[in-house]
Amino acid sequence: MTPMVELDNVTRRFGDTAAVREASARLERGEFLTILGPSGCGKTTLLRMIAGFDRPSAGRILINGQAIDAVPPFRRSIGMVFQRLALFPHMTAAENVAYPLKMRRFDPAEIPERVERYLELVRLKGFGSRRPHEMSGGQQQRVAIARALSFSPDLLLLDEPLSALDRKLREEMQLEFRRIQQELGVTTINVTHDQREALVMSDRVVVMDAGRIQQADTPAAVYRQPSNRFVASFIGMTTVFPGMVAEAPEGIGEIIVGDVRLPARLPAGGLAPGTAVDCGLRAEQVRVVAPGAPRPETTIGGLVERRIFEGDRLVYEVRVPPLGNLTLMVFDHDPATHAEHEVGARVLLGWNARDLFVFPKETTENATRQETGPAS
Amino acid sequence: MRSARGKAWVLWSMVILVLVTLALPTLVIIGASFTSGDIIRFPPEGLSLRWYRALWDLGGFRAALGRTAYVSALCTLIAIPVGTLAALALARRRMRFARTIQVYLLLPFTIPLVVSGISMMMLFGEARVLGQLWPVGVALCLINLPFMIWAVSSAVNALDPELENAAMNCGAPPVTVFLTVTLPAVMPGVITGALLMFILAFNEFLVSLFLTDSRTVTLPVQIYNSIRNVITPDLAAVSVVYIVVALAAIWVLDRLVGLEIFLKSK
Repeated sequence: MTPMVELDNVTRRFGDTAAVREASARLERGEFLTILGPSGCGKTTLLRMIAGFDRPSAGRILINGQAIDAVPPFRRSIGMVFQRLALFPHMTAAENVAYPLKMRRFDPAEIPERVERYLELVRLKGFGSRRPHEMSGGQQQRVAIARALSFSPDLLLLDEPLSALDRKLREEMQLEFRRIQQELGVTTINVTHDQREALVMSDRVVVMDAGRIQQADTPAAVYRQPSNRFVASFIGMTTVFPGMVAEAPEGIGEIIVGDVRLPARLPAGGLAPGTAVDCGLRAEQVRVVAPGAPRPETTIGGLVERRIFEGDRLVYEVRVPPLGNLTLMVFDHDPATHAEHEVGARVLLGWNARDLFVFPKETTENATRQETGPAS
Repeated sequence: MRSARGKAWVLWSMVILVLVTLALPTLVIIGASFTSGDIIRFPPEGLSLRWYRALWDLGGFRAALGRTAYVSALCTLIAIPVGTLAALALARRRMRFARTIQVYLLLPFTIPLVVSGISMMMLFGEARVLGQLWPVGVALCLINLPFMIWAVSSAVNALDPELENAAMNCGAPPVTVFLTVTLPAVMPGVITGALLMFILAFNEFLVSLFLTDSRTVTLPVQIYNSIRNVITPDLAAVSVVYIVVALAAIWVLDRLVGLEIFLKSK
């Protein structure tokens, strides 16, 4: 089956700088894809090109197997929820939802029933006669969703519509988006800088940085097997430090960091001994090992330098002298059940070998100027 | 406590002073227009509508009022599309020379009205249209157009450009986007500007003086001519007509746009 959306080496240049570089991706029918990246990574530019508000400098965008470069935005079957929602202020909620139906020449007899159905879908039954400024932020959000979906588009685009909401409402709306998307089975592309949102909502996540797609995978794979240093450090709380390959069979090899050798998971294909690498260790994978408790594969002693209480967890910053005085971040969940450690205390840290990520060292050259594919 | 009350007292007396100073000439002229005597004075000698009657019977004034209304309407009708489109283009289209065009459109502001009057008199004379009424409307539109552009520009600047993208995304082609989304959104600015243009044209004197003759004289010029002869209370009555027109404009503005918006100069 042809994919719903296909990006074929899409590049967008503004003057000398490229906002999007040779992005290629496929989106299957009914999938929920999130483009995740820091601001300025090119994710919004990519979305606007798909919507038709902008055009690629090079490459093609295909929807349903058709190149759509020459199709103006108003002839594309795409619904979009805008960052600032962009509801029509002089129209009621119902008129907003009816607008795309009128513009797309739906049978006028069918429109009121459709408007009613979509307002009900977003749980705004009875609010149709209100104007946007008479509604709360969450309600406006729902009107914007109903307007984007009422004409049954092939594709739904979400341009960080949740970023302006406070945290509680945002998390509620994330689940709401997902519910509606699954109920209708509409193919969706969401853009966000919020990693939690990306992991919670999506079937697949595309991580972007500096205009380039860094990794495209399931949320679990992006989290557990980051393909490079950027992905590892952007998702989750990761301490990144330099090391060198000592022994390199496929799978678990050994890395020299500071004065010690650490077992670590090497990237597929292996690395030659002596290669300089970047190592990454997620704060949630490192444990403070209680005396007498079963030991993880790697253990090493350190000194507590800071501790931060965050309610559901304690965050320790632990200095580890054998690793060249590296400071590791460590999360300790549910600290009430065991000992807490004061600043200055000696602790034993532990993790499993597969949780220590290893990536070939990226020179600045690689990260910013390399012209083919993500650094590998 | 005491000082706070003292401050309030000073503030209030200043406010009242300002209000009275602003309103007094108007009140005096309204009062004077109802006099039954032969000379303009305040307080009036007795109350009557005598001078309104006299004004109405005076062929010259009625005709001048009609011409002023025509000229103002013409000026407004030209200003609405020209000013709206110019403001939208200046704010929205990434044009070359946008800055230059902006300055050029605001040029009428920087030129003294006397100069505008003389130059337009010469221009219309060359074009052999001097002595007709419509060129006066065109001239008034020209000199006041910056007001229209300003009024619409402020509405355009308050408009989220994403609204137009949203309309397009909903399936509306560009012309429909303009008619169903852009125009309604900037309508308050258009209405404000249009009323401003009408009132300004209704009151305009100097340029009209150059462009009219005895057959095309407009109300402000007519009033000026009358003062030069003899000052009678019918002049006060004309002034009241002006006040009524201005009040009517404010009422219309309030009904259509809402005065709060206008005062916030949206």
